[in-house]
Amino acid sequence: MQCCLGIDVGSVSTNLVLLDDKKRLVKKLYLSTAGNPIKAIKKGLGILQQEFKDLDIFAVGTTGSGRHLASILVGADIVKNEITAHAAAALEYYPQAQTILEIGGQDSKIIVIRNKTVVDFAMNTVCAAGTGSFLDRQAQRLGIPIDKFGEIALKSKNPTRIAGRCAVFAESDMIHKQQMGHATEDILRGLCEALVRNFLSNVAKGKEIRPLILFQGGVAANTGIRKAFEEQLQCKIHVPENHDVMGAVGAAILAFNHVVSRQKTTNFLGMDVAFQNYKVKSIECNGCPNACEIIQLFSDEKLMARWGDRCGKWSSIIAV
Amino acid sequence: MRIGIPRALFYYQYFPLWKTLFEALGYEVVLSQPTNKEILRQGIELCVDDACLPIKIFHGHVANLIGKVDMIYIPRIVSVEPREYICPKFLGLPDMIKNSVSKIPYIVDAEFNMYKGRYYILYHLLNLCKILNINPSRMLLAYGKAMYAQRQFEKLLVKKSAVPLDIFDQKQEKQSQPYIKEDNNIKVLLLGHNYNIYDDYISMGLIRKLRKHKIDFITCEMVEKNEIQEGNKKLSKDLFWTLGKKTIGTAYYFLERKQVDGVIHIASFGCGPDSLVGELIEKRIKREFKIPFLNLNIDEHAGEAGFNTRLEAFLDVLEGMKYFEDNISTYG
Repeated sequence: MQCCLGIDVGSVSTNLVLLDDKKRLVKKLYLSTAGNPIKAIKKGLGILQQEFKDLDIFAVGTTGSGRHLASILVGADIVKNEITAHAAAALEYYPQAQTILEIGGQDSKIIVIRNKTVVDFAMNTVCAAGTGSFLDRQAQRLGIPIDKFGEIALKSKNPTRIAGRCAVFAESDMIHKQQMGHATEDILRGLCEALVRNFLSNVAKGKEIRPLILFQGGVAANTGIRKAFEEQLQCKIHVPENHDVMGAVGAAILAFNHVVSRQKTTNFLGMDVAFQNYKVKSIECNGCPNACEIIQLFSDEKLMARWGDRCGKWSSIIAV
Repeated sequence: MRIGIPRALFYYQYFPLWKTLFEALGYEVVLSQPTNKEILRQGIELCVDDACLPIKIFHGHVANLIGKVDMIYIPRIVSVEPREYICPKFLGLPDMIKNSVSKIPYIVDAEFNMYKGRYYILYHLLNLCKILNINPSRMLLAYGKAMYAQRQFEKLLVKKSAVPLDIFDQKQEKQSQPYIKEDNNIKVLLLGHNYNIYDDYISMGLIRKLRKHKIDFITCEMVEKNEIQEGNKKLSKDLFWTLGKKTIGTAYYFLERKQVDGVIHIASFGCGPDSLVGELIEKRIKREFKIPFLNLNIDEHAGEAGFNTRLEAFLDVLEGMKYFEDNISTYG
């Protein structure tokens, strides 16, 4: 089967998707990165290999904060930032989209689209308040499974007010409310509203939010957050069917277009990547006071790539 | 005698002047190393906590010069343009350094104040004469040479759209290809203080990255003074400090003429004027010009990933919009 592969290596999840030659989704994988992107990618490819015996990958795209690592590992045709990838995926399924809200594991962004072109975007700055990992932590603390978070929050009739500007303050505020005796669902709903308020006043500050609005990323699964967005924007929010892997879908689409329009052959190194033995070793270069941390990727004992230096002294000598 | 000049702050603006002046007076001019991890580390360690990044880095550069020079030139810069002041951190810089850095060589901290008029530079020179024990006529002769070098340098910036590093580092210039502008390239306005933009370490190689992507850029230094003044007329009241005024004047001048495809503003974390200037420009762009605007805050963060993601996404936006415009323009 002819497929193109998209890989999104995020801080929390590593997603892989397969699109067929009509850009339809064949398979999606949502795996936990668990601090080890190489392992996650290998695991993902292993699963795909097992499930599809006659896989013929003709294009590969990588995105996410681990995109460069992923591209070296699998041999990507295109390496793109998350913003462009998310926009590409959204426009494929919703050509009328004008705004994309995306909340992932550790970042949140807003993308403004007009006439099928990205015209503006913003990402959260230093603070990761209100992103997936924070919600995860709070759910864990309250002892509720994360997939029930939204459902429980929506039961609330009287949400409490929680300060959402900073994750540390939000947590102490939540603890305070819980000790006062507020019901869990009221606190959860209050948290959803606080996070949305924070998103709209920080990340989306000054941006013109026009319909059609898409909500992507892992957090879009949380119906409580979705509802809070709808209430505060007074507008319907669309959550794409594959909202959790839209970054990977975007990377696959960009790779598809790149390879097909240029009639190239793919750089893909093959599914064997899943069964290779990779090792990373980092060294500190002492050629100059910058003391760059050089990361070396070995496949068995063979050096595959080096990166992390500012001057190019190490990254330019690749043994391949 | 060896005199040290820290490779930071106004080095990027006045280096030709200072270098020629001191060399004509018979000094050996020694520069600190280009900004690197060690300099940043030392700067953060030495400097008071609430200063902005470039000031911290300046401390690191001073520390880098210790042991290599007999004295360090850190003028007390109060004003560089008549009737305008500069950020007070420049004013207090010699004191900050003397207070925070131990075992420093002699600091040449003559006052540099042109608030009452350009000719007040003479006071700075006379001060230097006193400190360094130099005959004033010799000083004037040297200053003439230095001023000529400075003028030549400023001309190159404006006429050839060069960046200071191309000019200062002759060796590097020979290695790198001469930069050729093409009409069709995407053109961005690169706003921010010269000591942030041109420092390869602070700006995470922004200029290198833009050139690699074949993006043309205009910085505040490439603009004539009268153009900056014209841009500033759009404000109901002049901004307070010289550097902010320069930034906003450049921005308004080019925005009015619709000569750029996008605007990048580099602000250092903790800089008061930067936060105001960035906001003013962004609001005006949103209201009137509808071109992409990217505000990048730089701090001590060493991770380039966040910086690159934003920059790459911004370049994608610019490309997308240009492509889209080209598409519709053929239909009138």
